Amino acid sequence: MSARVFGWALAHEWLKFRSVRSTVWTWAVMAVLPVPGAAFVAATGSLQPEDTVLGGALTLAVPALALAAVTGVLVISGEYGSGTIATTLTAVPRRGTVLAAKVALVAGVLFLAALASATCAYLVGDAMLAEDRPQGEPWPALLGVAALFPVAGLLGLAVGTLLRHAAGALTTVVALLLLPSMLGPLFGPAERWVAGASPTAALEKLTQSADADAQAVGSLGAWPSLALVAGYTLLALGGAATALRRRDV
Amino acid sequence: MIEVHRLTKRFGTATVVDGLSFTVRPGRVTGFLGPNGAGKSTTLRMILGLDRPTSGRALIGGRPYRELTAPLRTVGALLDARAVHGGRSAYHHLAGLAAAGGIPRRRVAEVLRLTGLGPQTAARRAKGFSLGMSQRLGLAAALLGDPEVLILDEPVNGLDTDGIRLVRELLRERAARGGTVFLSSHLMSEMELTADHLVVLGNGRLLADAPLAEVIARNSRTVTLVRAPEAERLREVLAAAGGRVSAGDGGWLVEGLDAPTVGELAAAHGLTVHELTPRPSSLEEVYTAMAQPVAGQRAGAAS
Repeated sequence: MSARVFGWALAHEWLKFRSVRSTVWTWAVMAVLPVPGAAFVAATGSLQPEDTVLGGALTLAVPALALAAVTGVLVISGEYGSGTIATTLTAVPRRGTVLAAKVALVAGVLFLAALASATCAYLVGDAMLAEDRPQGEPWPALLGVAALFPVAGLLGLAVGTLLRHAAGALTTVVALLLLPSMLGPLFGPAERWVAGASPTAALEKLTQSADADAQAVGSLGAWPSLALVAGYTLLALGGAATALRRRDV
Repeated sequence: MIEVHRLTKRFGTATVVDGLSFTVRPGRVTGFLGPNGAGKSTTLRMILGLDRPTSGRALIGGRPYRELTAPLRTVGALLDARAVHGGRSAYHHLAGLAAAGGIPRRRVAEVLRLTGLGPQTAARRAKGFSLGMSQRLGLAAALLGDPEVLILDEPVNGLDTDGIRLVRELLRERAARGGTVFLSSHLMSEMELTADHLVVLGNGRLLADAPLAEVIARNSRTVTLVRAPEAERLREVLAAAGGRVSAGDGGWLVEGLDAPTVGELAAAHGLTVHELTPRPSSLEEVYTAMAQPVAGQRAGAAS
Protein backbone atom coordinates (compact mmCIF):
# COMPACT_ATOMS: atom_id res chain seq x y z
CA MET A 1 0.00 0.00 0.00
CA SER A 2 1.42 3.36 -0.93
CA ALA A 3 1.72 6.04 1.75
CA ARG A 4 -0.24 8.49 -0.41
CA VAL A 5 -3.21 6.15 -0.85
CA PHE A 6 -3.14 5.33 2.87
CA GLY A 7 -3.17 9.06 3.67
CA TRP A 8 -6.22 9.57 1.46
CA ALA A 9 -7.98 6.60 3.05
CA LEU A 10 -7.22 7.93 6.54
CA ALA A 11 -8.53 11.41 5.60
CA HIS A 12 -11.72 9.71 4.35
CA GLU A 13 -12.13 7.79 7.61
CA TRP A 14 -11.57 10.94 9.70
CA LEU A 15 -14.17 12.88 7.71
CA LYS A 16 -16.67 10.04 8.09
CA PHE A 17 -15.94 9.81 11.83
CA ARG A 18 -16.38 13.50 12.56
CA SER A 19 -19.43 14.07 10.32
CA VAL A 20 -21.81 11.71 12.16
CA ARG A 21 -23.22 12.52 15.58
CA SER A 22 -23.29 8.96 16.95
CA THR A 23 -19.53 8.42 16.66
CA VAL A 24 -18.58 11.90 17.83
CA TRP A 25 -20.86 11.79 20.88
CA THR A 26 -19.88 8.29 21.93
CA TRP A 27 -16.24 9.33 21.72
CA ALA A 28 -16.81 12.65 23.53
CA VAL A 29 -18.74 11.06 26.42
CA MET A 30 -16.04 8.41 26.71
CA ALA A 31 -13.41 11.14 26.96
CA VAL A 32 -15.25 13.28 29.49
CA LEU A 33 -16.84 10.66 31.76
CA PRO A 34 -13.84 9.76 33.99
CA VAL A 35 -13.22 13.39 35.07
CA PRO A 36 -16.56 14.22 36.73
CA GLY A 37 -16.46 10.60 37.92
CA ALA A 38 -13.28 11.34 39.90
CA ALA A 39 -14.80 14.50 41.37
CA PHE A 40 -17.98 12.63 42.34
CA VAL A 41 -16.16 9.76 44.03
CA ALA A 42 -13.91 12.16 45.95
CA ALA A 43 -16.75 14.49 46.98
CA THR A 44 -18.95 11.66 48.29
CA GLY A 45 -16.07 9.76 49.90
CA SER A 46 -17.48 6.54 48.41
CA LEU A 47 -14.23 4.56 48.47
CA GLN A 48 -12.88 1.53 50.30
CA PRO A 49 -10.26 2.52 52.92
CA GLU A 50 -7.58 0.57 51.05
CA ASP A 51 -8.41 2.14 47.64
CA THR A 52 -5.62 4.16 46.06
CA VAL A 53 -6.00 7.70 44.76
CA LEU A 54 -5.35 6.44 41.25
CA GLY A 55 -7.94 3.64 41.52
CA GLY A 56 -10.57 5.95 43.04
CA ALA A 57 -10.02 8.69 40.49
CA LEU A 58 -10.46 6.24 37.60
CA THR A 59 -13.64 4.59 38.90
CA LEU A 60 -15.64 5.59 35.83
CA ALA A 61 -12.91 4.45 33.44
CA VAL A 62 -14.71 1.09 33.25
CA PRO A 63 -17.88 2.40 31.55
CA ALA A 64 -15.65 4.72 29.49
CA LEU A 65 -13.79 1.63 28.27
CA ALA A 66 -17.09 0.11 27.16
CA LEU A 67 -17.80 3.32 25.19
CA ALA A 68 -14.38 2.99 23.53
CA ALA A 69 -15.37 -0.48 22.34
CA VAL A 70 -18.72 0.91 21.11
CA THR A 71 -16.85 3.64 19.16
CA GLY A 72 -14.82 0.94 17.42
CA VAL A 73 -17.97 -0.99 16.51
CA LEU A 74 -19.72 2.13 15.15
CA VAL A 75 -16.82 2.95 12.81
CA ILE A 76 -17.55 -0.20 10.79
CA SER A 77 -21.17 -1.13 11.57
CA GLY A 78 -22.32 2.30 10.35
CA GLU A 79 -20.93 1.38 6.93
CA TYR A 80 -22.68 -1.97 6.77
CA GLY A 81 -25.92 -0.59 8.19
CA SER A 82 -26.18 2.24 5.68
CA GLY A 83 -24.63 0.44 2.71
CA THR A 84 -21.78 2.95 2.38
CA ILE A 85 -19.32 0.05 2.64
CA ALA A 86 -19.76 -0.44 -1.14
CA THR A 87 -18.99 3.26 -1.73
CA THR A 88 -15.97 3.10 0.57
CA LEU A 89 -14.61 0.02 -1.18
CA THR A 90 -15.08 1.54 -4.64
CA ALA A 91 -13.21 4.64 -3.43
CA VAL A 92 -10.44 2.53 -1.85
CA PRO A 93 -10.57 -0.90 -3.54
CA ARG A 94 -7.68 -2.37 -1.56
CA ARG A 95 -9.52 -3.67 1.44
CA GLY A 96 -6.47 -4.07 3.64
CA THR A 97 -5.89 -0.33 3.21
CA VAL A 98 -9.46 0.46 4.28
CA LEU A 99 -9.12 -1.63 7.43
CA ALA A 100 -5.65 -0.23 8.18
CA ALA A 101 -7.01 3.33 7.90
CA LYS A 102 -9.85 2.47 10.29
CA VAL A 103 -7.35 0.92 12.72
CA ALA A 104 -5.18 4.05 12.63
CA LEU A 105 -8.20 6.31 13.15
CA VAL A 106 -9.70 4.32 16.04
CA ALA A 107 -6.34 3.85 17.75
CA GLY A 108 -5.39 7.51 17.33
CA VAL A 109 -8.59 9.17 18.54
CA LEU A 110 -9.02 6.74 21.44
CA PHE A 111 -5.42 6.91 22.65
CA LEU A 112 -5.32 10.70 22.68
CA ALA A 113 -8.72 11.06 24.34
CA ALA A 114 -7.98 8.40 26.95
CA LEU A 115 -4.55 9.78 27.83
CA ALA A 116 -5.95 13.28 28.37
CA SER A 117 -9.02 11.98 30.18
CA ALA A 118 -7.24 9.55 32.54
CA THR A 119 -4.58 12.14 33.40
CA CYS A 120 -7.18 14.82 34.17
CA ALA A 121 -9.23 12.38 36.25
CA TYR A 122 -6.13 11.44 38.24
CA LEU A 123 -5.22 15.09 38.85
CA VAL A 124 -8.77 15.88 39.98
CA GLY A 125 -8.79 12.88 42.31
CA ASP A 126 -5.34 13.75 43.62
CA ALA A 127 -6.44 17.29 44.43
CA MET A 128 -9.69 16.28 46.14
CA LEU A 129 -8.92 13.03 47.99
CA ALA A 130 -7.55 12.94 51.55
CA GLU A 131 -3.80 13.06 52.10
CA ASP A 132 -3.62 9.87 54.18
CA ARG A 133 -4.82 7.66 51.31
CA PRO A 134 -2.25 5.49 49.45
CA GLN A 135 -1.33 7.23 46.23
CA GLY A 136 -0.86 4.32 43.84
CA GLU A 137 1.71 4.38 41.07
CA PRO A 138 0.42 6.78 38.39
CA TRP A 139 3.35 6.28 35.99
CA PRO A 140 3.56 4.35 33.79
CA ALA A 141 0.11 3.00 34.73
CA LEU A 142 -1.68 5.96 33.12
CA LEU A 143 0.06 5.20 29.83
CA GLY A 144 -1.12 1.62 30.13
CA VAL A 145 -4.68 2.85 30.73
CA ALA A 146 -4.45 5.13 27.68
CA ALA A 147 -3.18 2.16 25.62
CA LEU A 148 -6.01 -0.06 26.78
CA PHE A 149 -8.72 2.18 25.25
CA PRO A 150 -7.50 1.76 21.67
CA VAL A 151 -7.22 -1.99 22.33
CA ALA A 152 -10.89 -2.09 23.39
CA GLY A 153 -11.85 0.08 20.38
CA LEU A 154 -9.95 -2.17 17.96
CA LEU A 155 -11.60 -5.22 19.48
CA GLY A 156 -14.93 -3.52 18.68
CA LEU A 157 -13.73 -2.73 15.15
CA ALA A 158 -12.64 -6.34 14.58
CA VAL A 159 -15.86 -7.84 15.94
CA GLY A 160 -17.94 -5.27 13.99
CA THR A 161 -16.10 -6.18 10.77
CA LEU A 162 -16.57 -9.89 11.36
CA LEU A 163 -20.26 -9.69 12.31
CA ARG A 164 -21.30 -6.68 10.15
CA HIS A 165 -24.37 -5.99 12.31
CA ALA A 166 -24.28 -3.29 14.98
CA ALA A 167 -26.51 -5.06 17.51
CA GLY A 168 -24.67 -8.37 17.34
CA ALA A 169 -21.27 -6.71 17.48
CA LEU A 170 -22.20 -4.47 20.45
CA THR A 171 -23.57 -7.42 22.40
CA THR A 172 -20.44 -9.44 21.69
CA VAL A 173 -17.92 -6.79 22.77
CA VAL A 174 -19.85 -5.89 25.91
CA ALA A 175 -19.90 -9.61 26.74
CA LEU A 176 -16.13 -9.78 26.16
CA LEU A 177 -15.71 -6.85 28.56
CA LEU A 178 -17.90 -8.26 31.33
CA LEU A 179 -18.11 -12.02 31.12
CA PRO A 180 -14.54 -13.20 31.84
CA SER A 181 -14.50 -11.85 35.39
CA MET A 182 -18.04 -13.14 36.01
CA LEU A 183 -17.33 -16.63 34.67
CA GLY A 184 -13.72 -16.91 35.82
CA PRO A 185 -14.42 -18.75 39.11
CA LEU A 186 -16.08 -21.57 37.15
CA PHE A 187 -12.77 -22.49 35.52
CA GLY A 188 -10.89 -23.57 38.64
CA PRO A 189 -7.12 -23.41 38.15
CA ALA A 190 -7.54 -21.68 34.79
CA GLU A 191 -9.30 -18.80 36.50
CA ARG A 192 -6.28 -16.50 36.51
CA TRP A 193 -6.20 -16.71 32.71
CA VAL A 194 -9.94 -16.54 32.10
CA ALA A 195 -10.70 -13.75 34.56
CA GLY A 196 -7.66 -11.80 33.45
CA ALA A 197 -8.61 -12.06 29.81
CA SER A 198 -11.04 -9.13 29.65
CA PRO A 199 -10.02 -5.53 28.96
CA THR A 200 -11.90 -4.53 32.11
CA ALA A 201 -9.69 -6.80 34.23
CA ALA A 202 -6.57 -5.27 32.72
CA LEU A 203 -7.99 -1.80 33.43
CA GLU A 204 -8.69 -2.55 37.11
CA LYS A 205 -5.19 -3.93 37.57
CA LEU A 206 -3.60 -0.94 35.88
CA THR A 207 -5.56 1.49 38.06
CA GLN A 208 -4.62 -0.53 41.17
CA SER A 209 -8.24 -0.38 42.28
CA ALA A 210 -9.26 -2.23 45.45
CA ASP A 211 -11.50 -4.39 43.22
CA ALA A 212 -8.45 -5.76 41.43
CA ASP A 213 -8.01 -8.86 43.57
CA ALA A 214 -7.12 -12.21 42.07
CA GLN A 215 -10.63 -13.50 42.88
CA ALA A 216 -12.35 -11.02 40.56
CA VAL A 217 -9.86 -10.30 37.80
CA GLY A 218 -7.36 -13.15 37.83
CA SER A 219 -3.85 -13.19 39.22
CA LEU A 220 -1.97 -12.04 36.12
CA GLY A 221 -0.04 -8.81 36.59
CA ALA A 222 -1.33 -5.57 35.07
CA TRP A 223 1.05 -5.54 32.08
CA PRO A 224 0.79 -9.25 31.19
CA SER A 225 -2.98 -8.79 31.36
CA LEU A 226 -2.76 -5.84 28.94
CA ALA A 227 -0.50 -7.87 26.64
CA LEU A 228 -2.95 -10.79 26.69
CA VAL A 229 -5.87 -8.53 25.72
CA ALA A 230 -3.78 -6.76 23.04
CA GLY A 231 -2.69 -10.17 21.70
CA TYR A 232 -6.14 -11.55 21.09
CA THR A 233 -7.32 -8.20 19.73
CA LEU A 234 -4.53 -8.46 17.16
CA LEU A 235 -5.69 -11.98 16.26
CA ALA A 236 -9.27 -10.74 15.90
CA LEU A 237 -8.08 -7.93 13.61
CA GLY A 238 -6.21 -10.46 11.49
CA GLY A 239 -9.42 -12.47 11.18
CA ALA A 240 -11.34 -9.31 10.28
CA ALA A 241 -8.81 -8.43 7.55
CA THR A 242 -9.07 -11.91 6.05
CA ALA A 243 -12.86 -11.83 6.12
CA LEU A 244 -12.99 -8.36 4.56
CA ARG A 245 -10.64 -9.42 1.73
CA ARG A 246 -12.46 -12.63 0.93
CA ARG A 247 -16.07 -11.58 1.22
CA ASP A 248 -18.33 -10.15 -1.44
CA VAL A 249 -19.53 -6.78 -0.20
CA MET B 1 -13.38 0.99 -22.01
CA ILE B 2 -14.87 -1.86 -20.01
CA GLU B 3 -14.10 -5.44 -21.03
CA VAL B 4 -15.94 -8.41 -19.62
CA HIS B 5 -14.47 -11.84 -20.43
CA ARG B 6 -16.49 -15.02 -19.80
CA LEU B 7 -17.65 -13.64 -16.48
CA THR B 8 -19.47 -16.17 -14.28
CA LYS B 9 -20.92 -15.84 -10.78
CA ARG B 10 -22.51 -18.67 -8.85
CA PHE B 11 -24.14 -18.37 -5.44
CA GLY B 12 -24.35 -21.96 -4.20
CA THR B 13 -26.06 -23.83 -7.00
CA ALA B 14 -27.63 -20.77 -8.60
CA THR B 15 -25.76 -19.36 -11.59
CA VAL B 16 -26.55 -15.65 -11.65
CA VAL B 17 -24.10 -14.62 -14.39
CA ASP B 18 -23.19 -17.27 -16.92
CA GLY B 19 -20.12 -16.90 -19.16
CA LEU B 20 -20.83 -13.28 -20.02
CA SER B 21 -18.55 -11.48 -22.51
CA PHE B 22 -18.99 -7.99 -23.93
CA THR B 23 -17.11 -4.73 -24.36
CA VAL B 24 -18.34 -1.25 -23.49
CA ARG B 25 -16.57 1.20 -25.81
CA PRO B 26 -15.81 4.88 -25.28
CA GLY B 27 -17.57 7.64 -27.20
CA ARG B 28 -21.08 6.32 -26.86
CA VAL B 29 -23.75 5.57 -24.28
CA THR B 30 -24.23 1.84 -23.76
CA GLY B 31 -27.46 0.71 -22.18
CA PHE B 32 -27.60 -2.40 -20.02
CA LEU B 33 -30.98 -4.10 -20.19
CA GLY B 34 -32.48 -7.16 -18.62
CA PRO B 35 -35.44 -8.14 -16.44
CA ASN B 36 -35.14 -8.23 -12.64
CA GLY B 37 -32.85 -11.05 -11.61
CA ALA B 38 -31.10 -11.21 -14.99
CA GLY B 39 -27.76 -10.54 -13.30
CA LYS B 40 -27.24 -6.87 -14.21
CA SER B 41 -26.40 -5.62 -10.73
CA THR B 42 -24.16 -8.62 -9.99
CA THR B 43 -22.29 -7.94 -13.24
CA LEU B 44 -21.82 -4.28 -12.31
CA ARG B 45 -20.62 -5.26 -8.83
CA MET B 46 -18.06 -7.63 -10.32
CA ILE B 47 -16.84 -4.91 -12.69
CA LEU B 48 -16.35 -2.66 -9.64
CA GLY B 49 -14.47 -5.30 -7.67
CA LEU B 50 -17.17 -5.59 -5.00
CA ASP B 51 -18.15 -9.18 -5.79
CA ARG B 52 -15.56 -11.74 -6.75
CA PRO B 53 -16.31 -13.63 -9.98
CA THR B 54 -16.52 -17.42 -9.76
CA SER B 55 -14.57 -17.38 -13.04
CA GLY B 56 -13.73 -14.96 -15.82
CA ARG B 57 -12.70 -11.36 -15.38
CA ALA B 58 -13.76 -7.77 -15.84
CA LEU B 59 -11.26 -5.07 -16.83
CA ILE B 60 -11.43 -1.29 -16.91
CA GLY B 61 -8.90 0.27 -19.25
CA GLY B 62 -7.16 -3.11 -19.29
CA ARG B 63 -6.87 -3.51 -15.51
CA PRO B 64 -9.01 -5.12 -12.81
CA TYR B 65 -10.81 -2.47 -10.73
CA ARG B 66 -8.93 -3.43 -7.56
CA GLU B 67 -5.64 -2.55 -9.23
CA LEU B 68 -6.60 0.95 -10.36
CA THR B 69 -4.28 3.55 -8.82
CA ALA B 70 -6.85 6.36 -8.75
CA PRO B 71 -10.21 4.57 -8.93
CA LEU B 72 -12.47 7.58 -8.34
CA ARG B 73 -10.71 9.57 -11.05
CA THR B 74 -10.99 6.65 -13.48
CA VAL B 75 -14.48 5.30 -12.80
CA GLY B 76 -17.57 7.01 -11.42
CA ALA B 77 -20.12 4.54 -10.12
CA LEU B 78 -23.68 4.79 -8.85
CA LEU B 79 -25.03 1.45 -7.64
CA ASP B 80 -27.52 2.28 -4.90
CA ALA B 81 -28.50 5.88 -4.34
CA ARG B 82 -29.85 5.03 -0.89
CA ALA B 83 -26.41 3.88 0.31
CA VAL B 84 -25.63 7.08 2.21
CA HIS B 85 -25.26 7.25 6.00
CA GLY B 86 -28.51 8.88 7.15
CA GLY B 87 -26.73 10.91 9.82
CA ARG B 88 -24.22 12.49 7.44
CA SER B 89 -24.84 15.56 5.31
CA ALA B 90 -24.64 15.32 1.53
CA TYR B 91 -21.74 17.76 1.61
CA HIS B 92 -19.73 15.64 4.05
CA HIS B 93 -20.53 12.47 2.12
CA LEU B 94 -18.95 14.04 -0.97
CA ALA B 95 -16.10 15.70 0.94
CA GLY B 96 -15.13 12.31 2.40
CA LEU B 97 -15.09 10.70 -1.04
CA ALA B 98 -13.03 13.59 -2.41
CA ALA B 99 -10.51 12.97 0.38
CA ALA B 100 -10.42 9.25 -0.40
CA GLY B 101 -9.79 9.89 -4.08
CA GLY B 102 -7.21 12.64 -3.70
CA ILE B 103 -9.66 15.01 -5.40
CA PRO B 104 -9.56 18.75 -4.56
CA ARG B 105 -12.39 19.81 -2.22
CA ARG B 106 -13.66 22.48 -4.66
CA ARG B 107 -14.98 19.66 -6.89
CA VAL B 108 -17.66 19.06 -4.25
CA ALA B 109 -19.29 22.43 -4.92
CA GLU B 110 -18.92 21.88 -8.67
CA VAL B 111 -20.68 18.51 -8.74
CA LEU B 112 -23.40 19.79 -6.40
CA ARG B 113 -24.08 22.59 -8.86
CA LEU B 114 -23.92 20.20 -11.82
CA THR B 115 -26.54 17.88 -10.32
CA GLY B 116 -28.82 20.68 -9.12
CA LEU B 117 -28.38 20.19 -5.36
CA GLY B 118 -28.43 23.58 -3.62
CA PRO B 119 -26.07 24.44 -0.75
CA GLN B 120 -28.92 24.26 1.78
CA THR B 121 -29.88 20.77 0.64
CA ALA B 122 -26.24 19.70 0.71
CA ALA B 123 -25.91 20.82 4.33
CA ARG B 124 -28.85 18.64 5.39
CA ARG B 125 -28.47 15.12 6.72
CA ALA B 126 -29.24 12.51 4.08
CA LYS B 127 -31.89 10.83 6.26
CA GLY B 128 -34.61 13.19 5.00
CA PHE B 129 -33.72 12.96 1.31
CA SER B 130 -36.30 11.89 -1.25
CA LEU B 131 -35.29 9.19 -3.74
CA GLY B 132 -34.82 11.88 -6.37
CA MET B 133 -32.48 13.89 -4.13
CA SER B 134 -30.55 10.72 -3.27
CA GLN B 135 -30.17 9.96 -6.99
CA ARG B 136 -28.77 13.44 -7.58
CA LEU B 137 -26.35 12.94 -4.70
CA GLY B 138 -25.31 9.54 -6.06
CA LEU B 139 -24.74 11.09 -9.47
CA ALA B 140 -22.71 13.90 -7.90
CA ALA B 141 -20.54 11.26 -6.18
CA ALA B 142 -20.02 9.45 -9.49
CA LEU B 143 -18.96 12.67 -11.23
CA LEU B 144 -16.69 13.83 -8.40
CA GLY B 145 -13.41 12.62 -9.90
CA ASP B 146 -14.36 13.72 -13.43
CA PRO B 147 -13.84 10.09 -14.51
CA GLU B 148 -13.50 8.76 -18.03
CA VAL B 149 -15.82 5.81 -17.27
CA LEU B 150 -19.32 6.08 -15.76
CA ILE B 151 -21.17 3.01 -14.47
CA LEU B 152 -24.70 3.79 -13.35
CA ASP B 153 -27.36 1.37 -12.10
CA GLU B 154 -30.84 2.81 -12.63
CA PRO B 155 -29.73 6.47 -12.40
CA VAL B 156 -33.10 7.98 -13.35
CA ASN B 157 -35.17 5.88 -10.97
CA GLY B 158 -37.16 8.32 -8.82
CA LEU B 159 -36.08 11.46 -10.69
CA ASP B 160 -38.54 14.10 -11.89
CA THR B 161 -38.67 15.10 -15.58
CA ASP B 162 -36.09 17.86 -15.05
CA GLY B 163 -33.78 15.37 -13.39
CA ILE B 164 -34.27 12.78 -16.13
CA ARG B 165 -33.43 15.37 -18.80
CA LEU B 166 -30.41 16.50 -16.81
CA VAL B 167 -29.07 12.94 -16.59
CA ARG B 168 -29.74 12.31 -20.28
CA GLU B 169 -27.93 15.46 -21.40
CA LEU B 170 -25.07 14.88 -19.02
CA LEU B 171 -24.49 11.31 -20.18
CA ARG B 172 -24.80 12.22 -23.88
CA GLU B 173 -22.34 15.06 -23.41
CA ARG B 174 -19.79 12.87 -21.63
CA ALA B 175 -20.04 10.19 -24.32
CA ALA B 176 -19.63 12.88 -27.00
CA ARG B 177 -16.39 13.97 -25.32
CA GLY B 178 -15.06 10.43 -25.60
CA GLY B 179 -16.18 9.05 -22.24
CA THR B 180 -17.37 5.49 -21.64
CA VAL B 181 -20.93 5.47 -20.30
CA PHE B 182 -22.62 2.26 -19.15
CA LEU B 183 -26.05 2.48 -17.60
CA SER B 184 -28.87 0.17 -16.72
CA SER B 185 -32.47 1.26 -16.68
CA HIS B 186 -35.94 -0.20 -16.63
CA LEU B 187 -37.37 2.84 -18.39
CA MET B 188 -37.24 1.71 -22.02
CA SER B 189 -38.49 4.99 -23.42
CA GLU B 190 -35.67 6.76 -21.59
CA MET B 191 -33.09 4.22 -22.74
CA GLU B 192 -34.27 4.72 -26.32
CA LEU B 193 -33.53 8.45 -26.02
CA THR B 194 -30.18 8.07 -24.26
CA ALA B 195 -28.38 4.95 -25.47
CA ASP B 196 -26.51 4.37 -28.73
CA HIS B 197 -25.67 0.77 -28.06
CA LEU B 198 -27.31 -1.98 -26.06
CA VAL B 199 -26.14 -4.96 -24.05
CA VAL B 200 -29.17 -7.13 -23.27
CA LEU B 201 -29.07 -9.78 -20.57
CA GLY B 202 -31.49 -12.61 -19.83
CA ASN B 203 -30.96 -15.26 -17.16
CA GLY B 204 -27.33 -14.24 -16.76
CA ARG B 205 -26.57 -14.75 -20.47
CA LEU B 206 -26.00 -12.29 -23.28
CA LEU B 207 -29.05 -11.88 -25.53
CA ALA B 208 -27.80 -8.97 -27.64
CA ASP B 209 -24.78 -6.68 -27.95
CA ALA B 210 -25.51 -4.33 -30.85
CA PRO B 211 -26.39 -0.73 -31.78
CA LEU B 212 -29.79 0.36 -30.50
CA ALA B 213 -31.25 0.81 -34.00
CA GLU B 214 -30.10 -2.65 -35.01
CA VAL B 215 -31.58 -4.29 -31.93
CA ILE B 216 -34.89 -2.61 -32.65
CA ALA B 217 -34.82 -3.36 -36.39
CA ARG B 218 -33.90 -6.99 -35.96
CA ASN B 219 -36.56 -7.68 -33.40
CA SER B 220 -39.39 -5.39 -34.46
CA ARG B 221 -42.58 -6.07 -36.34
CA THR B 222 -43.43 -3.25 -38.70
CA VAL B 223 -46.85 -1.84 -38.08
CA THR B 224 -48.55 0.74 -40.31
CA LEU B 225 -51.19 3.09 -39.00
CA VAL B 226 -53.79 4.07 -41.58
CA ARG B 227 -56.88 6.28 -41.18
CA ALA B 228 -59.54 6.63 -43.81
CA PRO B 229 -63.16 7.89 -43.88
CA GLU B 230 -64.41 4.64 -45.42
CA ALA B 231 -62.83 2.57 -42.71
CA GLU B 232 -64.77 -0.64 -43.13
CA ARG B 233 -64.13 -0.90 -46.90
CA LEU B 234 -60.44 -0.22 -46.39
CA ARG B 235 -60.24 -2.95 -43.76
CA GLU B 236 -61.77 -5.46 -46.21
CA VAL B 237 -59.32 -4.48 -48.93
CA LEU B 238 -56.32 -4.79 -46.63
CA ALA B 239 -57.47 -8.08 -45.14
CA ALA B 240 -58.02 -9.48 -48.65
CA ALA B 241 -54.43 -8.52 -49.52
CA GLY B 242 -53.13 -10.51 -46.54
CA GLY B 243 -52.73 -7.81 -43.91
CA ARG B 244 -53.56 -8.42 -40.25
CA VAL B 245 -55.73 -5.47 -39.29
CA SER B 246 -56.67 -4.35 -35.81
CA ALA B 247 -58.24 -1.17 -34.48
CA GLY B 248 -56.04 1.28 -32.59
CA ASP B 249 -54.99 4.91 -32.31
CA GLY B 250 -58.09 6.16 -34.17
CA GLY B 251 -57.48 4.04 -37.27
CA TRP B 252 -56.31 0.62 -38.36
CA LEU B 253 -53.00 -0.89 -37.31
CA VAL B 254 -51.81 -3.08 -40.19
CA GLU B 255 -49.22 -5.81 -39.86
CA GLY B 256 -47.76 -7.73 -42.78
CA LEU B 257 -48.12 -4.92 -45.34
CA ASP B 258 -45.74 -1.97 -45.48
CA ALA B 259 -46.86 1.64 -45.88
CA PRO B 260 -46.35 1.94 -49.69
CA THR B 261 -48.36 -1.25 -50.26
CA VAL B 262 -51.19 0.04 -48.07
CA GLY B 263 -51.19 3.37 -49.97
CA GLU B 264 -51.21 1.65 -53.38
CA LEU B 265 -54.04 -0.68 -52.38
CA ALA B 266 -56.12 2.29 -51.19
CA ALA B 267 -55.46 4.19 -54.45
CA ALA B 268 -56.29 1.14 -56.58
CA HIS B 269 -59.69 0.88 -54.87
CA GLY B 270 -60.34 4.63 -55.03
CA LEU B 271 -60.25 5.07 -51.25
CA THR B 272 -59.27 8.36 -49.62
CA VAL B 273 -56.55 8.08 -46.98
CA HIS B 274 -56.24 10.71 -44.22
CA GLU B 275 -53.15 9.33 -42.55
CA LEU B 276 -50.57 6.73 -43.42
CA THR B 277 -47.75 6.24 -40.93
CA PRO B 278 -45.17 3.44 -40.72
CA ARG B 279 -44.50 2.71 -37.07
CA PRO B 280 -41.36 0.86 -36.03
CA SER B 281 -41.71 -0.95 -32.73
CA SER B 282 -40.60 0.93 -29.66
CA LEU B 283 -37.70 -0.46 -27.69
CA GLU B 284 -40.19 -1.42 -25.05
CA GLU B 285 -42.11 -3.66 -27.47
CA VAL B 286 -38.90 -5.16 -28.81
CA TYR B 287 -37.58 -5.77 -25.33
CA THR B 288 -40.80 -7.39 -24.16
CA ALA B 289 -40.68 -9.69 -27.19
CA MET B 290 -37.03 -10.56 -26.50
CA ALA B 291 -37.52 -11.16 -22.80
CA GLN B 292 -40.53 -13.43 -23.27
CA PRO B 293 -38.73 -16.62 -24.39
CA VAL B 294 -36.31 -16.13 -21.50
CA ALA B 295 -39.13 -15.80 -18.97
CA GLY B 296 -40.74 -18.93 -20.44
CA GLN B 297 -37.47 -20.81 -20.12
CA ARG B 298 -37.16 -19.78 -16.50
CA ALA B 299 -40.70 -20.85 -15.72
CA GLY B 300 -39.96 -24.17 -17.43
CA ALA B 301 -36.81 -24.67 -15.40
CA ALA B 302 -38.65 -23.96 -12.15
CA SER B 303 -41.41 -26.49 -12.74
